[in-house]
Amino acid sequence: MAVLEAFRLTKSFFDGKEEVPVLKEISLHLERGEVVGLEGPSGSGKTTLLFILGCLLSPTSGRVVIEGREADPNRLPELRRTSIGLVFQHFHLFSALTALENVEYAMNIKGMGGAAARREAERILEVVEMSDRRGARPRDLSGGQKQRVAIARALVGHAAIILADEPTASIDARLAGQILELFGRLARDENRAVLIVSHDPKVRGVADRIIRMQDGQLLD
Amino acid sequence: MVDLATKILLDDKTRFLTTVSGVAFAVMLVIVQVGIFLGMLESASITIDRMDADLWVCAKNTPNIDFANTFPELYVHRVRSIPGVLQADNLIVWFVTVALPNGAKEAAIVYGLEDFPRWRFPWDVVSGDPADLRRGRYVFVDDSAERRFGTFEEGEYREFLGLRLKIIGRTRQARSFTTNPIAFLDYRVAQALAPLDLRRRTTYIIVKLEPGADVEAIRAEIRRRLPYNDVRTKQEWADRSRGYWVENTGLGLSMFVTVFLGCLVGVVVVAQTSYTATIEHFKEFATVKAIGGCNADIYRIIARQATISALVGFSIGAAMAHAVRPLLAGLDLKLIIHPTLVGNVFVGAVALCLGASLISFRKIAGLDPAVVFRS
Repeated sequence: MAVLEAFRLTKSFFDGKEEVPVLKEISLHLERGEVVGLEGPSGSGKTTLLFILGCLLSPTSGRVVIEGREADPNRLPELRRTSIGLVFQHFHLFSALTALENVEYAMNIKGMGGAAARREAERILEVVEMSDRRGARPRDLSGGQKQRVAIARALVGHAAIILADEPTASIDARLAGQILELFGRLARDENRAVLIVSHDPKVRGVADRIIRMQDGQLLD
Repeated sequence: MVDLATKILLDDKTRFLTTVSGVAFAVMLVIVQVGIFLGMLESASITIDRMDADLWVCAKNTPNIDFANTFPELYVHRVRSIPGVLQADNLIVWFVTVALPNGAKEAAIVYGLEDFPRWRFPWDVVSGDPADLRRGRYVFVDDSAERRFGTFEEGEYREFLGLRLKIIGRTRQARSFTTNPIAFLDYRVAQALAPLDLRRRTTYIIVKLEPGADVEAIRAEIRRRLPYNDVRTKQEWADRSRGYWVENTGLGLSMFVTVFLGCLVGVVVVAQTSYTATIEHFKEFATVKAIGGCNADIYRIIARQATISALVGFSIGAAMAHAVRPLLAGLDLKLIIHPTLVGNVFVGAVALCLGASLISFRKIAGLDPAVVFRS
């Protein structure tokens, strides 16, 4: 069963009085346990689609259903909290918190607190092989390590869907390979759906399927 | 729970110190200013508060204890004969000039009574026996006079309105609102200082009632017998004397303006640093939203930071206010820090800091979590 379904999504922005369509009738789905790569040239609408799938933006028309729940504008924060984990190109870790606290804080936001949250945060850091750096602040971590912590943060609360925006763009090629392998392992071992937006050709190596976009439309 | 608010706040120690300094300065300014004001007000009515009298008979419309008018001294008999009156005496309060050994003249206020011990007055005697004042041209002078009169010793003489009086005792705390020192002398000697104004005249009649006496009934009877005088209870008279300086001199307004400016400085500093901090952590707040948080989560962070700044700033400011107490005492300024004042300033500091953070709330309300994808 699809954990995320999008039906005939459109999105338009206004440039003055002129309506600019960015997404045109896009439908797609993500299954648990699969890694999907989203490719396309700049300006093709990838990021806007990611915003909508990540419940950060509402479409102009069309529907998004996440784990059987309609993504109404009023429910977007709740869906982000319960079902979606986001990984950003520039990590966006909290600089004042340690690696462990970054993960634990995300758990707090998702409603889990106390010793249980701390234990779960430690477990997730182990999954991304960052246990030995749990006490380090982001400024003391390498790019790859930061991205691992960011991925760990996206995993908390048993998020069924992991959406990653250019997760390897800010790290070197060797670490990029490790990060992509981690996404593949998470999809398989933890039964999550992973959507990676990237220009990195190495994504093809871990993706179960690739979706390509151009001019606001899916090509395949 | 991870305390993101405190971690962010303490992560930039310079900014935190700036915020806390602003709050501390404002808190100290308000406590010191109001404390000095309260100290001055206490002086405005300290002799009324300390005199063991229940009722005060004054000339009509006397504005405060220092600005006394005269009336016939024989009125005291009409008061003494009222049932329920335990004792009633004439009291003279009069401005005088004192000739100093260096040739200069300084102002003082004299209190003239026939029997000081009977009224437990003066209340804080450093040396000498007030009962000795009845013997003649003697005077007790308050220690606070040293700043104006220079040093003086018992046994020395000073000239009060041309009359040489021997200093036979010293007191403490006896100072008027205008910081003029108070001297105590016999009632007849006080009349002799200004015979044109005070011959067979007094400025007040102080009244002590018998235990359980009906204050209002006796006051009404005094009013009936002395229709051209005012009769006030101790509390009313003290309030009126203090109120005169607050309402009629612009002092109250001046204090209000200073307190307002102190608060304004605190609010501006906190608002500015809070807003700047919010802008600088905009991406982090957007991340909070992107990972599932809502505006309320971010409001809590900002409100908590404002509260912490208020608590730390208040503690430092209050400690600083206490620390300047001895310094001000050296300048003859009494600083009164009531727990009520401290409590009010504490509540005010927290409320103002929270209020100052509202400007950041507005910025957060329009925060788009998608900004974390854009850079």
